[in-house]
Amino acid sequence: MVLLQLLINGIQTGTIYALTAIGFALIFGSTRIFHFAHGAIFVIAAYVFKFTFGDLSLHWGIATIAAVSTAVAVGLLVNFLIYVPIQRHEGSYFTIFVASFGVVIVVQNAIAIIFGRGFVAIETPLSNAVEVVSGLLMAPLFGIALVCSVIILISLHLTLTRTHVGIALRALSQNPELVRTFGLSTRRLSTYAFALGSALVVPGAIFTGAVSGLNPTVGLHIMLISLVATIAGGIGSIWGAAWIAFAIGVAENLVLWQMDSQWSEAVAFAFLLAFLIFRPAGLFRLASAR
Amino acid sequence: MSVYLLNVGVFICIYAILALTLNVLIGYAGVFTLAHAAFFGIGAYVAAFVAMNLSSSLVVVLVASVLTAGILSVIIALPALRVRDEYFVVVSLAIQILCVTVFSEWKGFTGGLGGIVNIPLPEIFGGTIATPMQFFLLALGCLAVITLIIGLMVRGSFGRSLMAVRDNESAALALGKNVALIKTLAAALSSGLAAVAGVVYAYYLSFINVQTFTLDTSVLVMAMVIIGGTGTMCGPILGAALLTMLPNALSYVSFLPQTEIGSIQQLLYGLAMILMMIFRPGGIVGAGRSKRNRN
Amino acid sequence: MSCGSRGVTAAAMTARIPAEASFEAAANVLRISGVSKRFGGIQAIQNITLDLRAGLITSLVGPNGAGKTTLFNTITGHIRPDNGTVLFEGHSLVGRPPWNIARMGIMRTFQDLRLFTHMSVEDNVLAAMEPRSWFWQSGGRQAKNTRRERAAAILNETGLGAKAGVLAGNLSYAEHKFLSLARIMATNARLWLLDEPAAGLDPPSYDLFQGLLRDQVRRGISVCIIEHNLDIITGISDRIAFLDQGRVIAEGAPDEILEDPKLIAIYFGGGPS
Repeated sequence: MVLLQLLINGIQTGTIYALTAIGFALIFGSTRIFHFAHGAIFVIAAYVFKFTFGDLSLHWGIATIAAVSTAVAVGLLVNFLIYVPIQRHEGSYFTIFVASFGVVIVVQNAIAIIFGRGFVAIETPLSNAVEVVSGLLMAPLFGIALVCSVIILISLHLTLTRTHVGIALRALSQNPELVRTFGLSTRRLSTYAFALGSALVVPGAIFTGAVSGLNPTVGLHIMLISLVATIAGGIGSIWGAAWIAFAIGVAENLVLWQMDSQWSEAVAFAFLLAFLIFRPAGLFRLASAR
Repeated sequence: MSVYLLNVGVFICIYAILALTLNVLIGYAGVFTLAHAAFFGIGAYVAAFVAMNLSSSLVVVLVASVLTAGILSVIIALPALRVRDEYFVVVSLAIQILCVTVFSEWKGFTGGLGGIVNIPLPEIFGGTIATPMQFFLLALGCLAVITLIIGLMVRGSFGRSLMAVRDNESAALALGKNVALIKTLAAALSSGLAAVAGVVYAYYLSFINVQTFTLDTSVLVMAMVIIGGTGTMCGPILGAALLTMLPNALSYVSFLPQTEIGSIQQLLYGLAMILMMIFRPGGIVGAGRSKRNRN
Repeated sequence: MSCGSRGVTAAAMTARIPAEASFEAAANVLRISGVSKRFGGIQAIQNITLDLRAGLITSLVGPNGAGKTTLFNTITGHIRPDNGTVLFEGHSLVGRPPWNIARMGIMRTFQDLRLFTHMSVEDNVLAAMEPRSWFWQSGGRQAKNTRRERAAAILNETGLGAKAGVLAGNLSYAEHKFLSLARIMATNARLWLLDEPAAGLDPPSYDLFQGLLRDQVRRGISVCIIEHNLDIITGISDRIAFLDQGRVIAEGAPDEILEDPKLIAIYFGGGPS
């Protein structure tokens, strides 16, 4: 029974990880930028939602809109104010990585100063676990989260396969050079990637806030998962990233069956190390070799 | 001399050693790693173990720590360096986090989350190092020796091998450089000498625990190297001095709430990292924006 | 791509190149047999068989995408061929890592040069000269001084003497090309693979380049050049191998190849491909 509960928790966690990882995979795949700040945007979105919904007691729809707009705005700002200037003159992947890391540190500490370092949660009766079947607890929010995730994933799939922008973004992930040759503006496509990718963190951020609580460092862990998932899933494969992120979420919880919680954080990294060392091309490699 | 200043001095030396050794990898070899704090920790834990169980001689402890850290880094580097450049950062992140988990869980060796207390004082040439001044001289001495070693290495042919690998790996291969060996040697040198910082730290405080050796510390040392200037010898030392003194300096700024000094410090160096990368990627010591050359 | 502005007569060419007999007499330095490589759906090179002889300059010519650079990459170990053998002075190269092949005596330049941009010109040359990947080189101080002197000499020969301390990234276009050449001159390689080494050089620079190359060949180096520029090809080749669509379709003395109307058609377009 414990195992089944852990599995359910795992699916819940895995779904949140998958959504966030997809956002990162989209951005990294299209722009090849190590957008570490993705985790920072996750945290910002979560706290914005908590502030508008919890502190200001506004309707959850308004709070969601606030969170999405903030996330997209920050994502675009980071790209235009930081990444683009760097790419214009020096542009090594490390320079951008360091700057992105800098953003994470700034955001983490700014939020700690404004909201404090302790755990805060988004209060809602929906997050109270309900005994579904004897011994199995599930919060109604989990059901909502699952349904939302499926809707978002389907919409994303349609966007990426049916719309011009979506197809262009996928092409960009697989072969940046070719896209430039065909005259598409990589700069405009990058903007779409950042906007879409940043918006995708919001559902995960909201659910994490409601289910497990928030603190300023929560972005780092989820960022690491997204990173691992994108790389292990294979660059250029957004679904690969989603699957791996989901698997990590499930594994993190199943691990608790036998080992104590310190080890569950290490799970993602054990995953990553194994993949990078034994299959550096990733599981679902689609992108062209460089 | 005031104990307070000597204390700051010891910490500057410790972080300068960490920054200098990290620079061998980041600045000279172009290998970007976030696992440096892990080797700082390995040095400290081995030092504590040897000092408390085997020998109180400083020399023995130093040798043991350096060798352990060096050998472990080679074992880890050999498979890890096969990974493509950009992804190595993530691998190093994984290594750092796994090491922290080991530090927290291996209670027999590391004391778990509680850490190790009552580390005895080091003995050398028959005497003990006990006063703040003596510790400062020890730290300074270690820094001087390490600066000398690294300086010699990077000015000579090894330095050129490192930089060749950094600037263009495929060309280096085509000219006969065994890139994997060069990177592994750089990792051994960097991590082995970083352990010296761990030794000094463990002895000075007589107490170590895992909190000092986390990702935060790796990032702090990286910030020191970047802000001070990569690819030079004095850059990392300058960066270490600046960032070590920053919290002290901030405490004098009266309108800042004391409880938030830690966060403010981090926020400031995060900001510095961003601005540096945009305007002056070479760091304070570096040459400003280099001419962009597509070659 | 230049279109042969100098009208070179067959007689002038015959006077310049060694006779067929000396080609046969020259030792075989590199023997490529049946080498093929496929990338996904594209057969980049197919069943390539080619001999490079000692002391000769062989040019690899052919339209873009013919597989010339892929062939180089296969020889130098950057790519592993699907089948075939490559023998250098009798030793097999396939499967060895690039640095190992380089140390055996084969060095190459790249079309995009790949200089060590954040190192000085002198360091670029010294790095090429220092064979060991260890913390220090063998030979002690004396060997170190010898290397520095030799580096200075090479820089003077290539016209870079005054720029020894300049960062490689800050050189002019021609200086970049000469530094690439200087690096390879600094090694002890017996076979040079040069990928478009003279592209874009102005006439005085080109003359310097040609002179340097001839010097090295006289000292016993064997050279294989990928070039598009017909002037360059006719000016220095002892031997030409014509590649098209991944195959060697012709190989021989320059006058044979360059007078063949079918090959000219392929090269300039419009012919069967």
